[in-house]
Amino acid sequence: MIRVNDLYKTIGQVKALNGLSFHADNGTITGLLGPNGAGKTTCLRTLLGLLKADSGSASIDGFDIARQTQQARQQIGLFPDPFGLYERLTPREYVQFFAELNGMSSQAAKLATAQVLSLLRMDEIADRRCQGFSQGQRMKTALAQAIVHKPTNIVLDEPTRGLDVMSTRVLRELLLTLKQQGHCVLFSSHVMQEVAALCDQVVVMAKGRVVAQGSPAELCARTGKNSLEDAFITLIGTDEGIAA
Amino acid sequence: MIRLFNTLFRKELLDASRDKRSVMAGLYYALGTPILMCLLFSVLLKQLSSIDELQITIENAEAAPALVHYLASKEINHGEGDKVKAIRLQLSPDFQQSMQQGRPAVVIIDADRSNDRLQSAIRRLERALSQYSNEVAHLRLLARGIDPNLLQAIDVQMHDQATPDSRGGMFLGVATLSIILTLFYAAMNLAIDTSAGERERNSLTLLLSQPLSSLQLVLAKVVAISCFSMAGLLLILVVSKFAYGMVPWQQLGFSISLNLDFMLFAILVGLPLALMSASLQVMMSFMAKSFKEAQTYVTLVLFVPLVLSMVTTYNIADDYLQWLPIAAQQQAMIAFLKGAVIPVPQLMVSSVITLLIFGVCSYASSRLLKSEKVVFSL
Repeated sequence: MIRVNDLYKTIGQVKALNGLSFHADNGTITGLLGPNGAGKTTCLRTLLGLLKADSGSASIDGFDIARQTQQARQQIGLFPDPFGLYERLTPREYVQFFAELNGMSSQAAKLATAQVLSLLRMDEIADRRCQGFSQGQRMKTALAQAIVHKPTNIVLDEPTRGLDVMSTRVLRELLLTLKQQGHCVLFSSHVMQEVAALCDQVVVMAKGRVVAQGSPAELCARTGKNSLEDAFITLIGTDEGIAA
Repeated sequence: MIRLFNTLFRKELLDASRDKRSVMAGLYYALGTPILMCLLFSVLLKQLSSIDELQITIENAEAAPALVHYLASKEINHGEGDKVKAIRLQLSPDFQQSMQQGRPAVVIIDADRSNDRLQSAIRRLERALSQYSNEVAHLRLLARGIDPNLLQAIDVQMHDQATPDSRGGMFLGVATLSIILTLFYAAMNLAIDTSAGERERNSLTLLLSQPLSSLQLVLAKVVAISCFSMAGLLLILVVSKFAYGMVPWQQLGFSISLNLDFMLFAILVGLPLALMSASLQVMMSFMAKSFKEAQTYVTLVLFVPLVLSMVTTYNIADDYLQWLPIAAQQQAMIAFLKGAVIPVPQLMVSSVITLLIFGVCSYASSRLLKSEKVVFSL
């Protein structure tokens, strides 16, 4: 359960967040859709406490990120963009490291790592160093890192960027499984297809604020358009920065 | 809290140990320097212990065979060819006659005094001539029944307190300098890689999104780097022990021998320095916007220990400098090697200052990691 309440953030001269409010519930996949430069990444960074909002608040499972930073972070699994792998570590070492960072004992972390690696069918590459991995293998490693400690909330920043069809499928299936298990999945994207195919809820962002929130069907109905794409363009007012 | 630190520390150690390039760069220094020093010392000692023959042009040598013979006994000869210095010694034609009559016999040194490269040769010639003059004068007085000691109003006696070991001051300075600098050079590449490198590879933001404090992160990095510095220190101590064992010290009557006691002492004294070195370099790297910039900053910072250590080595230190980090630790190491009294108060104070700097730098780094500008290099 992620709640964002009236966030304002100015970076340099740019109003990156301009009164942003939305919420993402457990058992749903929420897509944060917006053109390039809408403030998606800034929003996620603020959500994780890496950036401090000028005003407003964000909470994860009820923990305020500004005041109860560590507890709040413990409830999140982050799939970042770029992935931030350690080239000299193997996926097993990498994933176990993050499991332990999130409070697991080394025994529990070892077990959880083995489970998540086999869930993502990574056993073959589990003990090879990340150096030289394909984009798909990197994505899987980052994904394993994000979910190894079984957080309630999983936050993904532009997850399908640069992935081939197979990798995108793996990602989609996993997100749907997580949803069924009752996790709260929040991902940012500027790719329409992906959002339309996966999301129960769509938060449409432009210029640092929410333009509309609802299911894809609701958004279509509200704008009186037949396709999602037309609905988005109507909502944002321009088709700039949106990928079909 | 402790478990989190352990996790971070183990990862840093593992990641750094696989960074072959950085580890090797540090170890090359530790391995190469003592061997280089050993060669340098051997050459230096050879130069110090043997007096070179000085070749000059002596004109009218037949006028004073006794003087020429005396000069020859001091390795000053008439010569021809390339090795002859541009110094001409002219003996006046009436040299013998003046000598016999007990009048000052004129000799002229014809040389360019402003030429730096001739200075020591000219002084050597002057010294030899005045010694000869003295000897002849003594003989003349004796021949006239006068005690030549009348000419010596005061008798300067030098009681040399130097023990064989203390005479090697400069050599000890250079040797300890190279040992202390290891703690800085072994850490350099790793410090940059684990901070500026971590940011450049985008893993820093992911790490900072985890439930941990930035101070834990910084401390884990600093301690891990210090481990490598200490490994470098151990290596240079062992290599030095063997390398310095091969220098022909007997020519000067002292020796540098690194025994086990000294090694333990150096490790004890070096530990705070390793922590300071790592924290300082990590802080500088985080302050830089990029990997390249970090390399520039850290190289500049490494100039400070070099200067402090040089000042100690060449003994141009003011009194208050003895209390500063690096200088005091080096003094203590030199004293230990000489078998002299170790300046304990200085060592204690400087070790405390060293640890304080480690604390301040680590805290500053952790503050830096809370800054949006630093983390995202905005």
